[in-house]
Amino acid sequence: MNARAKGMAKLAYKWRSYGAGYLFMLPWMIGFAVFMAFPIGWSLYLAFQKVSLSGTGFKYSYIGMQNFKDALFKDNEFTIQLLVFMQQMIFMIPIIIIFSLCVSLLLNQQFPGRFLFRAIFFLPVIFSTGQVLTELFQQGAGDVPFIAQYGIDTYVTENFSKSLADPLLNILGMMILILWSSGVQILIFIAGFQTISKSIYEAVRIDGASPWTSFWKITLPGVKPFIALNLLYTMVDLFTFPFNPIMEQIKSNMFNISTGYGYASAIAWLYFIFIMILIALIMLFLNSSNKARRA
Amino acid sequence: MKTEAVVRRYTRQVRSYVNSRKAQRIKLAVLGQHMNDGLLAKLFIYFMLSIIAYLYLQPFFYMISTMLKGLSDLLDPTVKWIPRTIDWDNLSRAFKGLSYPRAFMNSMLLAAGGSLLQVFVCAITGYALARLQFPGKKLFFALVFLTFLIPPQVIMIPLYVTFSKLGWLGTPFVFLIPALLGQGIKSALFIIIFRQFFLSLPKALEEAAMIDGASMFRLFLRIIMPLASSACLVVFLFSFIWYWNEGYLTSMFLSGDFIPLSNKLSGLEAAIFGDNPSMATMTQNPVTEGTKMAGAFLIVFPPLVLYMIAQRWFVEGIERTGLVD
Repeated sequence: MNARAKGMAKLAYKWRSYGAGYLFMLPWMIGFAVFMAFPIGWSLYLAFQKVSLSGTGFKYSYIGMQNFKDALFKDNEFTIQLLVFMQQMIFMIPIIIIFSLCVSLLLNQQFPGRFLFRAIFFLPVIFSTGQVLTELFQQGAGDVPFIAQYGIDTYVTENFSKSLADPLLNILGMMILILWSSGVQILIFIAGFQTISKSIYEAVRIDGASPWTSFWKITLPGVKPFIALNLLYTMVDLFTFPFNPIMEQIKSNMFNISTGYGYASAIAWLYFIFIMILIALIMLFLNSSNKARRA
Repeated sequence: MKTEAVVRRYTRQVRSYVNSRKAQRIKLAVLGQHMNDGLLAKLFIYFMLSIIAYLYLQPFFYMISTMLKGLSDLLDPTVKWIPRTIDWDNLSRAFKGLSYPRAFMNSMLLAAGGSLLQVFVCAITGYALARLQFPGKKLFFALVFLTFLIPPQVIMIPLYVTFSKLGWLGTPFVFLIPALLGQGIKSALFIIIFRQFFLSLPKALEEAAMIDGASMFRLFLRIIMPLASSACLVVFLFSFIWYWNEGYLTSMFLSGDFIPLSNKLSGLEAAIFGDNPSMATMTQNPVTEGTKMAGAFLIVFPPLVLYMIAQRWFVEGIERTGLVD
């Protein structure tokens, strides 16, 4: 066999194994094209169109940035909702992360019955159906009972400006339901603690470090990548949080004759851009913590 | 002088007792070697966890308690947690109002069907991304990750139009077909889980099978999938729960005959008091609070049972599949 035939055979073999790879990827590739890439492209196209319903079907006419301009400067509902949502996120994400970090620290200790507690803290993931949460919230079951008891709500309204007090009270009112969305995050943290080797703790203990210092010097830097991971997960989870107002905005604008699909798409894209900025910030944090870890 | 001697003797006794082995052992047991492994620390942990767990589960207790209250107990503010008489009417009314058997089957079809398809497709995609060699693998993995970050809001409108053109709106296809093609609910996350899992398997297994002449597909079905059964189970369970609880996309795409349980609760009042519009339009009606909570309970009950059976897999799943490494 000459060298050329050998090369050809090698190439054929290589492509056969490549073929297996592509074949395994095929369902996902089709799905990505049909249910992800194409809708994204179309939605971007729609965002620059005025879509109106005529007798024969949809009529598209290009109107440039008009939809975005309307959403940002004319629509006083969307901008307010986006701001409210932003305020909520700013309060909720740290609450969820800190809460899950504290609980996972407690659950990470060795004590009998810890599996029971782990089961309890994961339980809300099981029944976080949107309508059930909304109903619980409406019946006032989502707040912390001692808030009204100790007059924390009046303290908040008296000491903060109204623009700050309102979202704060709103958050307090559904505190438990917010904490309910930290089930997966707790598990991620617990798994994260396992990646820190026990011998490091022994070493600092021999050097005379208290558990307090070893938490700040060893545990916290060690779980920094998991904090970033949890930030990312929480963000993604909040897309479909039942109290996320953007979903309703898009839906109501979609079926509204005066605004239609085009305007609703523009709203979705503004929301997307806003989310992407936040995610980019988190990724930056993740990257820097990875670099610090390697160094 | 005499008292001084007594005090001194006494102190010596106390000191010798404190230094005795028994006392040291008690001290070790209470305070522990490093403050965080003694009895005191354990009590503190139990105390904290119990309080947090109580607060955490309070809405759930509220659901159960309200569900069992009759009208007189609901209106009586002195009855807080335990109803005076247990009233099962709420449950039966909610059962009828939700048209439970039918809605249950709808939810079951979506959740079980979607999850099974998703397990299979995410497994093969994850395997390809972990073990098979082909050009553009890195790009595909980046795209998978990207799909995780895309809010459903962005693609909802085109999907709605597409589905309505295909005539799929109101049928289970709107969820089953994307699941079959790896674009179901949180598919990207499951693909990443499978990829991490397959990366952790030893390569020698596949090499041995290849030398024995197994084809790629036999290798995957006979050797890899049985090894991945634990990962499959974890993905199935999570996927089932997320499909069951999905309320937004279902409210968008499903209507008419095919409504899953997760979208039934808001229409419960209208379904019960359909003939009495004045009752149905009243929001925050204490009369229906119990019934609505019963409805909520009926909705979360099936996943709750699943969780009781498979609790271990849920809680340890994330560690087991090595998602975080």
